[in-house]
Amino acid sequence: MRTKQEYLIRYKDGNLYCELADIWIDPSKPVKKALITHAHFDHFTFGCEEYISTKETAILLKERVGDNIKIKTFEYGEEFKINGINISFHPSGHILGSSQIRFIFAEEKWLISGDFKLQKDQTCKPYEIVKTDYLISECTFGLPIFKWDESNKIANDISKWITNSPEKTSLLFCYSLGKAQRLLNEISQTNFKGNIYSHGSIHKMNNSYREIGIDIKDTIKIENKKKIDELKGSLILLPPSLSKGSYLKNFKNIQTAFASGWMSIRALRKRSGYDKGFAISDHADWDGILEVVKKSEAKNVFFHHGDSEALSKYLVEKESINVLLFGK
Amino acid sequence: MSLKKFSELFGDLDSINSTNNKIEVLKNYFLSNDPIDNSWAIYLLTGKRNKRLISGRYLKNLFSQIYDYPQWLIDTCYLKVGDSAEVITLLLKNKTNSRKKKLSNISLNELLSETIPALSKLNEEEKNVEIKNLWETLPEDNHLIFNKILTGTFRVGVSIGLITKSISKLINIEEEIISHRLMGDFKPSIDSYQFLINKNINLQELNSKPFPFLLANTIEDKIFENSINDFQFEWKYDGIRMQLIKRSGNVSLWTRGQELVNESFPELVEKMSHIKDDFVLDGELLVWNFKEQIAFDFSLLQKRINRKSPTRTIQIKYPIIFIAYDLLEINGRDIREIKLENRRIELEKYFSKWQIKTENNISDIFKICDLIFPKDWPDALTYKEKSRENNTEGLIIKKKTSIYSSGRKKGIWWKYKVDPMQLDAVLIYAKGGSGRRAGLYTDYSFALWKDKELIKFASAYSGLTNIEIKELDKWIRKNTIEKFGPVRSLKPEMVFEISFEKIQISNRHKSGIAVRFPRITKWRKDKKINDADSLENAYELMKKIS
Repeated sequence: MRTKQEYLIRYKDGNLYCELADIWIDPSKPVKKALITHAHFDHFTFGCEEYISTKETAILLKERVGDNIKIKTFEYGEEFKINGINISFHPSGHILGSSQIRFIFAEEKWLISGDFKLQKDQTCKPYEIVKTDYLISECTFGLPIFKWDESNKIANDISKWITNSPEKTSLLFCYSLGKAQRLLNEISQTNFKGNIYSHGSIHKMNNSYREIGIDIKDTIKIENKKKIDELKGSLILLPPSLSKGSYLKNFKNIQTAFASGWMSIRALRKRSGYDKGFAISDHADWDGILEVVKKSEAKNVFFHHGDSEALSKYLVEKESINVLLFGK
Repeated sequence: MSLKKFSELFGDLDSINSTNNKIEVLKNYFLSNDPIDNSWAIYLLTGKRNKRLISGRYLKNLFSQIYDYPQWLIDTCYLKVGDSAEVITLLLKNKTNSRKKKLSNISLNELLSETIPALSKLNEEEKNVEIKNLWETLPEDNHLIFNKILTGTFRVGVSIGLITKSISKLINIEEEIISHRLMGDFKPSIDSYQFLINKNINLQELNSKPFPFLLANTIEDKIFENSINDFQFEWKYDGIRMQLIKRSGNVSLWTRGQELVNESFPELVEKMSHIKDDFVLDGELLVWNFKEQIAFDFSLLQKRINRKSPTRTIQIKYPIIFIAYDLLEINGRDIREIKLENRRIELEKYFSKWQIKTENNISDIFKICDLIFPKDWPDALTYKEKSRENNTEGLIIKKKTSIYSSGRKKGIWWKYKVDPMQLDAVLIYAKGGSGRRAGLYTDYSFALWKDKELIKFASAYSGLTNIEIKELDKWIRKNTIEKFGPVRSLKPEMVFEISFEKIQISNRHKSGIAVRFPRITKWRKDKKINDADSLENAYELMKKIS
């Protein structure tokens, strides 16, 4: 058994770090060299000297934070070497450009799952099963109460929710990168044929997706002063940050909903303050995490990003998989 | 016509905020389902009675047994979800074979009048097999309702008032009538639903039912502009509001919560049955200190409420009294439409007649409320301040010309409470205590409603007895949603009366208010979280004081 310091990848200052390559993964503070799994803001920070990511992630990052960052890109599956370590990106199915990162050193394989899901999502490459010896996996929804419905079922529910209240303006809150595009893609395949508006931040991301070659349904950018009548019966996609402030005063006669995996729990739905919750997530559910752990054939697993206690205990007891603890 | 429709209704009601939309959804439900399912729906929605067949713990054990699922994992999930029926519903997802869904068309009636009663007759082993079978044959969409009914935890944010309104709109008959029809015992049947939606109003049919209660509003400043002589003043007792009914010789005691409580207070039923007249009285039940002629604390009354068929010893230890405020019906004549001052004359007249003419002495269990006669408003205030001395909560002020309508009608009855700085709040966080209280959760945070959200407004750790602390600690451990270090977020379920000395605006708190010396003054087990106060109530309180 090795000590924590001897692992190829370990936790340092709350971030994943590979000492041998002196490289950080999704660091939360400025460092010299950062591998970025995907372009969500909680996986990225300003001020690093150099970023390394997939091409798609690089485009999205630049769109979000500007061109003046130094970023090196690689294709999925393309191997590159840092200090004798072979590194490669593999699709993780979370959002466009999202990746798992594999490290191979001295015949030992390490895999960082990044944020991932196994569910169908036509706006990004599907999760690729990658075999590994060590797996570092997220476990945001690491409890068996989380089991996702097919995304087209959720999209149909959303469609019904809108069309059942033709007098209202339906505000659907969702993350502006990834979730919004996936929802647009799914909703455009339902019976809902009304107008869809989106907030500027979402609109921008839609355009980036299209640039990269992903077909996203056209939406109208929402202006602050829209006529109420015009919005009646239509759908507006907004980022969750706008749900609490005065922004909602721009609209009259609205119904609100939040699209998030947490919405599968009634108490959280009630507390969220939205009228309705749609349980759709870009993270893996319980079965998804178990499947990835098993198919990766990892002998040793670490969890981060979530409540891993129950999941770890379950894997040890029921699946005899060695779950290790990172010293944070 | 199916359970599925009811499941959908539940989902809709659960996710709609607007009252009007809820009414619309209910109306549509009633229109598109048959009378028997409708009557069951009303039965469940009004929370008339949902007797539990098995406990949440039992449900979780059963699931663990059937599907070889670790108990600890279910418990961990429960901490997140806070409801056994829902945890099991979520865990059952994709577990059962969807091709076997034979019961996809089961009606609400079938489930409640056949399936569930049949279950209750089985022994434990058979029952377990049958529940498993039902899980496998009921469509997944129905699991939540089924599990909730099994565990007696069916609840949804719909008040009786809302049901009343939707039926009233459905058949175009005044709410008062519907409200009256819904009072008392509601036995689900085609007849009971037909009775409810009958467009012909026949007051005879309402014979066994109490009248809808008239409730007092919190006092408003504008009342002081009126002449003191326009009002009747009574002490505000802290007991159980009740209608005492004697019709066709039969006495019944109905609480405001529409429960028939004859069995808990047999001595009152017995005594009152000796009175020769028929009547409906509105009043308060109290445990009475006969020596000092004041009420005992509410906590003593609690010892009587839940005890059916109390022994003679209990009856002597906790002697009750019914104090009548009002006479609503006399010998079959509904007098709610006559003025309060005249009803009072009738009440006094009949009371003295009954005292003299009734063979058994009734005055040791029944009296009419004393009136107070303040000279002017400042004098009324003085009375109010004195109300603590006689164990009352303040004054009730009633317009002498008011008729007895129903609900919280504005502008006729007011409560003038001795300590207005009290709010009923929901317990949302608990933190471990230290020192003598180590190992117990004794530091509590309380929240008020803001729309559908509970916003923290005060923390308090004093006011509960040691026994209550222990009881609450046990509950906290079972009802934790999340742990953050020593703090636990809790399932919003418990309501407490919080008292404080000062209330002011504060930018430092999310609620926008700060209170001074908050303390727990009562564990309101009788209240559901929907009965808790809102931030708006707090702001009103603040306005009134400044």
